[in-house]
Amino acid sequence: MPDRFPSWHFPPGAVPTPGYEPLDDLDVAILDPDQVDHLLDILEASAVELRKIPALERARRLGAVGRRLGDRGDPLRREAEERLPHQAGLSPAVARQLLDRMSGQWTPEALERLVHVEFSDPAVLDGFRLRPGAGDRVCAVGDRLALHVGSGNVPGVGVTSVLRSLLVGTPVLLKPGRGDVVLPVLAARALAGAFPEGAGALAVAYWPGRAIPELETRAFERARRVVVYGGMEVVRSIRERLPAHTPLVAYHHRVSAAAVAREILAGEGEAEEVARAAASAVAAYDQQGCVSPHIFWVERGGSVSPEAWARLLARELEALQRTLPARPTAELSARIQTVRGEAEMDRALGADTLVLAPGGTDWTVICESGFAFGGACGGRTARVQAMDRLDALAGSLTPWEGILQSVALECPEPRRTELARSLAQVGVSRITTLEHQPWPAPWWLHDGSGPLRALVGWVSLEMPEPSPPSC
Amino acid sequence: MSRSGEVKALGDELRAAVGAFMARASWDAAGREADDARFNELALRVFRYQTVAVPVYGQFVANRGIDPHSVHDWHHIPPVPARAFRRFPLVAGGEGEPVEAVFRTSGTSGGEATRGVHRVLDLSLYRASLLPTATRHLNPQGESLRVLALAPAPRDRPDSSLVHMVGVFHEVWDDGGGGFFADGQWQLRTLELLSALEDAEASGVPVLMAGTAFGYVHLLDLLAQEGRTVCLPPGSRLMETGGFKGRSREVARETLYGDLERRLGIPIRRMVNEYGMTELLSQFWETPLADPPGPDHDDLSRRSLVGPPWIRTRILDPHRLTPVPPGEVGLLQHLDLANLHAVSALLTEDQGVAVTRRRFRVLGRRPGAEPRGCSLSMEELALARSQGAGGVRDGAPVRTGGEAGNA
Repeated sequence: MPDRFPSWHFPPGAVPTPGYEPLDDLDVAILDPDQVDHLLDILEASAVELRKIPALERARRLGAVGRRLGDRGDPLRREAEERLPHQAGLSPAVARQLLDRMSGQWTPEALERLVHVEFSDPAVLDGFRLRPGAGDRVCAVGDRLALHVGSGNVPGVGVTSVLRSLLVGTPVLLKPGRGDVVLPVLAARALAGAFPEGAGALAVAYWPGRAIPELETRAFERARRVVVYGGMEVVRSIRERLPAHTPLVAYHHRVSAAAVAREILAGEGEAEEVARAAASAVAAYDQQGCVSPHIFWVERGGSVSPEAWARLLARELEALQRTLPARPTAELSARIQTVRGEAEMDRALGADTLVLAPGGTDWTVICESGFAFGGACGGRTARVQAMDRLDALAGSLTPWEGILQSVALECPEPRRTELARSLAQVGVSRITTLEHQPWPAPWWLHDGSGPLRALVGWVSLEMPEPSPPSC
Repeated sequence: MSRSGEVKALGDELRAAVGAFMARASWDAAGREADDARFNELALRVFRYQTVAVPVYGQFVANRGIDPHSVHDWHHIPPVPARAFRRFPLVAGGEGEPVEAVFRTSGTSGGEATRGVHRVLDLSLYRASLLPTATRHLNPQGESLRVLALAPAPRDRPDSSLVHMVGVFHEVWDDGGGGFFADGQWQLRTLELLSALEDAEASGVPVLMAGTAFGYVHLLDLLAQEGRTVCLPPGSRLMETGGFKGRSREVARETLYGDLERRLGIPIRRMVNEYGMTELLSQFWETPLADPPGPDHDDLSRRSLVGPPWIRTRILDPHRLTPVPPGEVGLLQHLDLANLHAVSALLTEDQGVAVTRRRFRVLGRRPGAEPRGCSLSMEELALARSQGAGGVRDGAPVRTGGEAGNA
């Protein structure tokens, strides 16, 4: 295990010498109430300098994060590679893949494009711009201070979140998830050299649970917007603690899935290709992401049966062990053993259930007959469910509106668009392909909303009526 | 479907055999080793009975290609996951068989849908397992005690195995002055409790306090709020179980026991942790009252758990379910002969480490540990559904009737 990692970044001068305590592989900063207030004062004040830089220029400078963490020779990247596997419970190969893919979303080009996609006229972030057809001028403003809370533990979530905040000109305090401490701190170090105004508007501090009540209470009181990633209970408790006038952007846990149409299973070659993409989507983040597919609805009627496709998926998952090995924790293995045992019990009760698995718990494919919906087990556990008609899928999903997030739809047109329309009616906010499922673009509609537009308020500047001509 | 006459007769015969084993079994380490062969022989007979009497288990074993008659070592008996008790009729005779009790877990994290269920065909087995074990670990002198339970009365919570257990203690050991000081929702009846503590202090009769860790936290809050400290009579002892899972407030065990010692006057070396599961009819206990006095009893980190001779525990590598070398952490797998009319071999998701051949420690989750990932877990899905998003069944896949045309 590498040395303990200081789990904080504070703007220069905010907390000159923080006290800290060890917690496993981390040092955790301990702040007293005065230090907390001083930190929040400095963050609030940083907005002025941050906003002096136009939004597109901010995007270019923030891109230092992607440039450095994407460069395998950079010392920051090397530190990330060294620490992530232990921190996030990933194998080194999975961590490397994750860093390559995520850093690509944080480059100057990607962030600039994000601003363009979100605001067709990015200058609206810097001043008032005419709103066509409305007769007024509008600008999009960030907040004086935002608090982002990431309890979800997927590496990269915290960096993406703070970059979004800084792009719209909002200073931010991030409390990252336990498994996502390293990347935001390294990102802040990247900014300190390349974009001091950005680093000065960013604070990162990890603390377990409610261990530093002053920090948490004051941050909740003073944040003008709170963004949370986490379980249902975390979201609920934060919602209860916030003042009524503080907007909450909540990305609660969701499940993602995939559907494979019979047309795709017409030949062995295409079925194999889809199985390969499915295995890669399952292996990316070891199914920890809200975009990771857990259930595969596979249509009967193709020349490759759903059961045969499940075997192809199992084969591809096994093949991935060579390039992207799984590293399940003991807790995860325990859960996987239970899920396998329960599937065996289903079979014993007469269900048409098949468990495909190697000797260990690196991956599991459970093949079932008919639609079923369940939460995620994780650790590369794929449920393949044979269905007669994918057209019935949306009807079956109605009770889970708000819980399902991404669906990879492997199906030829025009049927694909038809199925997508029906899935849109039951709250699925992203319909994609298996190849792209684990790696959404920076400008994806995150849980149905624009990622930057969710973080701004709009101000309208209405024009005075022209004075009547004097006579 | 219920048990045929033949299966029932076999069950009765084994009930007698398990009872005889319980009566004759040795509790000391050397004696237990001498009992290994007898335990093995009885475990295999019980296993074969269960594959016939519990149809779903029989099929589970058959699907693995295992002939029950070809298993000669209890270590090779296939365990079912403990969670399987939530969804499957793991009772002799299957779902239709009349039972004497239905025990459910408290189900704090996922609502009604995720509660474990244990249908108990023969409660006398529970009692036969509990009494000698609890006597050894809580009341080795067989004294008359004042039993003060931070738990509901059995009539208020007949579905709780813990309440049933405490009810047995009250029935067998109480001097007539004790009772149950929580309502059916586990809320403490504070006035009665304070008054009972005062009476107990004055009576001179040694007390047995029995409750969950969470109940004790509430008791300490109450005593602190009232500014009260009691000094329970010499010889008093305390049983603690249950932990904090799913509760809003967690306290380190050392802190809890230390505070209890100061507030109640019961020394830490007379506080005993019990580790049990709704799915098992036998329990594991810490041994400060059963073992000769020693410095280890004050140091909670050195304590370990031991079960009665009719339950055996293996510690398995979670990845491959093979035994771990002694001293390494693994999953706990139990084989409980008292589970005669259900399934004896149970795989838990609890991690532990062997201390000796018979003793182990359970490693709890770290306080504040966060679940990995941002995918909705099975428990969260169950919770979401129990709060109004349709009818989930234990977070496991739920079938709905939406797929027209699916055979």
